Amino acid sequence: MGNIDELEALLRPPAMEMPPYPPKVITLASGERMVVRQIDRDEVPILLKAIAPLLWVERDFYDIVAARLFGELLAYKRYRVKDEYCLVGLIDGVLAGIVNGRLVDEEVGMSYHTITIRRGLRVGSHMFAAKMEYHMEILGQKEVLIVAESPIGFRRWMIEYPLEKKFEVPHELGGVPSWTLTRETYFKAKPRLVSGRRPVPPELLEKARTITLPAEETVKAQVLGEKGEGT
Amino acid sequence: MREVAIIGAGMTKFGRSEIGLIELMSEASIRALDDASLGDLRVDAVYVPNMGAARLNRQTAIASALVDRLNLFPAMAEAVENGPASGASAVKNGFQAIASGMADLVLVTGGERMRAVNNLEATDFVASLSHPQAEYIYGVTLPALAGMFTRLYMERYGVTARHLALVAVKNHANALDNPYAHIQQRITLEGILTAPEAVVNNPYIADPLRLYDCCPVSDGAASLVLASREIAEKLGRPVVRIAGIGQATDTHAVHERPDPTELTAVRLAAQKAFGMAGITPQDIDVAELHDAFTILEIAESEEAGFFRKGEGHVAVEEGVTSRTGTLPINPSGGLKAKGHPVGATGVAQLVELTWQLRGEAGERQVEGAKSAFACNFGGFGNNVVATVLRRED
Amino acid sequence: MEDKKVYGVRCKACGKELYPAHALCPECGGREFEPIEIRGEGVVLTYTDVYALPLDYALRYLRLAIVELESGLRATGQLLDDDPKIGKRVRVTVGVVRERGEEKIYGLQFVPV
Repeated sequence: MGNIDELEALLRPPAMEMPPYPPKVITLASGERMVVRQIDRDEVPILLKAIAPLLWVERDFYDIVAARLFGELLAYKRYRVKDEYCLVGLIDGVLAGIVNGRLVDEEVGMSYHTITIRRGLRVGSHMFAAKMEYHMEILGQKEVLIVAESPIGFRRWMIEYPLEKKFEVPHELGGVPSWTLTRETYFKAKPRLVSGRRPVPPELLEKARTITLPAEETVKAQVLGEKGEGT
Repeated sequence: MREVAIIGAGMTKFGRSEIGLIELMSEASIRALDDASLGDLRVDAVYVPNMGAARLNRQTAIASALVDRLNLFPAMAEAVENGPASGASAVKNGFQAIASGMADLVLVTGGERMRAVNNLEATDFVASLSHPQAEYIYGVTLPALAGMFTRLYMERYGVTARHLALVAVKNHANALDNPYAHIQQRITLEGILTAPEAVVNNPYIADPLRLYDCCPVSDGAASLVLASREIAEKLGRPVVRIAGIGQATDTHAVHERPDPTELTAVRLAAQKAFGMAGITPQDIDVAELHDAFTILEIAESEEAGFFRKGEGHVAVEEGVTSRTGTLPINPSGGLKAKGHPVGATGVAQLVELTWQLRGEAGERQVEGAKSAFACNFGGFGNNVVATVLRRED
Repeated sequence: MEDKKVYGVRCKACGKELYPAHALCPECGGREFEPIEIRGEGVVLTYTDVYALPLDYALRYLRLAIVELESGLRATGQLLDDDPKIGKRVRVTVGVVRERGEEKIYGLQFVPV
């Protein structure tokens, strides 16, 4: 943190102890291995670079997800959001997906966003599952509040888990009625939705130490479904 | 009956299109017309296979619209709707028009823009071909019919999830060499079947069928120019002749078939097509089968006569159907990976086979292919068109 | 009261039973039929859990089956059984199989015997 002045200290939200997310490795349909690990604040700028071109992609609500995620990650870097975390998925060090969220309190989590850079390999599904794994198994929370901004998200989370309605609670993302993932639902869904292996072999972890961005054109082509799109 | 040849072939890249249906179809048509190099000759009939323009794109009478865009007046023109077999049905219509002497030059352009609607709506649209009272109202979709078919097939013939996955891996690999394919993504047996993560990578769509057993929802168009053999021979290129066409129907509700694992219409359509061509399945060098679901590639390969019933999966395992095998199946990637814009599919299969027979299939060329077979499968096997093409040297 | 039963037909000329109904009898070409109720017991011929659902279903999946009834007739319907197996004995019931807005559609649901 370094030295901060008094006013800055006032502007920063109080922080809770958060055990770190232990990295894991997932074998994808392509046979490629994706390392999922937590980032720290220093790595935010490179993620912002990856997200920026998606701010103008209307397809599948990439624009709104990118814009909000951009703001959330910036707020994380500059200490303007309480107890936020961010996980990334990296294939040979190349960014494939990002998820983030935060803790409301010790028992309740608030899921923010899932953005898939490499489409067609269920990267988004794996990343969302990793995020739920963090809340439930590492942080030991009771529930996670979730909303979807796109129909794809709705199918992946609300229907696939399936989530329960908790409409009386407005979600931080736009005040939209919340859905909730309970421990019971999570552990029931875990065998078919949560995967990956630990510990990550050192050579894979080493490759995943620095985040490399795919070329902007590659990202756009993948996101727009012009290339490498999955079933 | 006059002999009929394919003198032009073209298609758009399958996938997700930002342009409209008619624009998509005219793009494919122009490629086929350019390929045919007609000079002063004019197309005198146009057939436009399509299944869902009225529902998906809110447009009707699309054959007239396509003729207008391509300035093909005063050619005869009509749309052909025969479910997912619309494509090969329309080629058959074109064949009949030329064979009978009613036309000399025919354009067949199939297209579909399915991604104009969301996936749920697209699934529902295709499901509407099932029996409205005895199937559709229960939530039956094509994956559901395929799932029930697969379970019975596995039980009876020893087909396993591994055999199905092998079909998917093969067709995805083939599509990597097809620039027109919707999905260009290598998949591995480990990633979709054997790794612990595979259950997440490859979830059930209609148990026992999983995600990678099913074709994607695609936009796309494909086009052929057909001509009498006399015209074709004057063009100075290898002549690809439509040597045989067969079509057969079966019960609407799948449960009414005496044996629901038999695709009788595939068998009958193939027999007719081979009979007309005067050759046998053993003479075929390359085939495009309607693998909307991996199990269908296996089942059709048996019904068409390439393998005995219950042995198609063994052929997959032994590599017989891979690109370097003795009977390459779906070198294009098939519906599985090339994509399945329903109205375009039957035409696209024949576009691929035309390229294969002319030796123009690039990286995915099956060496020395002279005879080719296509199966375009409508409904869940209730309307099937089989086509045999031959290169005449 | 609304009739919620599901019917096939029997050919008046040759007695052939059909489900669903057809206009011509495939056995004898007969054109006159009488309704027969789809009921009783049968065995599961095949089934699936389908996750690719059409419109009108806010479910994760739907369990569907083809059942062969004692009469030899076959029918497709929803399978309400937590432990489905090929060859398992089931009984025909009728229930709501689809809801389209306010409209409730009744159809065949198979339950274990």
